[in-house]
Amino acid sequence: MKIECTIDGKALSLSVNSNKPLSLILMEDVGNRSLLCHCKGEACGNCIVLLNDEAVLSCVVPAFRLKEATITTFESYQKTRLCRDIERAYQRNGNTPCPNCYASKTLIIESILQNLTSTRPNRMSTTMLPRPKSTAPADEALDEKDIIQELSLNTCQCMHMSELVQIVETALTFRRRKRVRRN
Amino acid sequence: MYEGIRSPVIHAPKTLNEFNTTALRYPTARIWAGGTYIMSQKDYYPSDSKDAIIDLGGMEELKKITRNDRFVEIGSMVTASQLLYAGKLILPEILQETLETLASQIVRRQITIGGSLCVPDVRLSLSTTLAILDASAEFKFYQGGKVSNHWIPIARLYDKGGNLALGADKALMTRIRIGLDYGDYHKFVTVEDPIRNSDKCVIFAFQAKRTQNSLSKVQFCMNFPTKAFHMSKDIEAKLSSLTLPIHPERVNTISYELVAEIKKQHGTITELQLERGRRMFESVLHGLNSQTLQT
Repeated sequence: MKIECTIDGKALSLSVNSNKPLSLILMEDVGNRSLLCHCKGEACGNCIVLLNDEAVLSCVVPAFRLKEATITTFESYQKTRLCRDIERAYQRNGNTPCPNCYASKTLIIESILQNLTSTRPNRMSTTMLPRPKSTAPADEALDEKDIIQELSLNTCQCMHMSELVQIVETALTFRRRKRVRRN
Repeated sequence: MYEGIRSPVIHAPKTLNEFNTTALRYPTARIWAGGTYIMSQKDYYPSDSKDAIIDLGGMEELKKITRNDRFVEIGSMVTASQLLYAGKLILPEILQETLETLASQIVRRQITIGGSLCVPDVRLSLSTTLAILDASAEFKFYQGGKVSNHWIPIARLYDKGGNLALGADKALMTRIRIGLDYGDYHKFVTVEDPIRNSDKCVIFAFQAKRTQNSLSKVQFCMNFPTKAFHMSKDIEAKLSSLTLPIHPERVNTISYELVAEIKKQHGTITELQLERGRRMFESVLHGLNSQTLQT
């Protein structure tokens, strides 16, 4: 199956098996180094990427759903200014995730920050499905319980949950300050 | 790396008519909703399966949520995330609680309602809650070159072991209908993750109507994801005739009756799960008592 998509800013035309998981496409066909392993359904949460600007587990996205999609992996995300907020939060709290889950945890935190700051134009929309017209925009803010639920998607135990929540809070402060300065 | 593995043919119907034609022409084709369950199977890729895939992602007819005075109808391809954001005006509160516990938001964006209900061998929290809300699902059956429509209550969709019991090779769930006449007391409790820790997980949903000091229309479902999907008409009837507050000894007796009943019908459930289930059941009834005493 031929798929036209954009990965890390590069427009690519890939010839892959139609049901191949995105994580394997990135590792084997694109040669991405930020994904370290394919968990084969273990739900380890180490393969997060941004698909059309929304965080997804790349091991549960098949190739046939990638037509015209824009995929951002940690390799290109770490070069953006958004990543600096999270890196500074790691430094400020004196804690950094282990190399195995660094990329994934950072992208999960980015997804949480986007939710909390609503930087995306339509944050409720799904990656693959348009939002039903009957639903009303919701006024939802992630509380600590939701943040923990999001962070627990990654099963690596290298950091305590309270430390991660602290990092999210610090990164959120940096992100808000940046937005105020821009305004 | 995967030489010799055939790439499955993908059919992407846009309408139900197109789906009907495709489903009848390719009877062995696999129906693909969100894909989270299929792709989390260990043998998913690479696999020798040559079956084609029918991708429902482009079918707008299956992505609608509508509501009138009597019921809410949810298309089977609505995602858990979309349904959650439909808000309290559309959904019963217990359904919202259930959707919140379903998975993290990142995964909820991919889980579809139909897909979650049609997982063949693991019963997830959504089925538990919809069963007590008297929800029904519309199915299209494809047999012998013909298409037929049926509404099936969610509570009857599964056998006692919790396996999907449709009795047809090929069927498509199109929408779910939830009546708006539900009880004023409801609780949803879950312990452990049903996918990662299915041997320890228990999911419990309960709803009842309180009229002055008496309990009526009690419905509950205790779900042991890979072992049992338990609803007990006997115990529901016993509870329905009780006056509130229920005496703690009576709560205790009924909870042990429930455990005995589950043990008798489903032998594979572990002691830990049984004890967890019993305590959940008791705590829900104690909660009901405490609410009654406060008012």
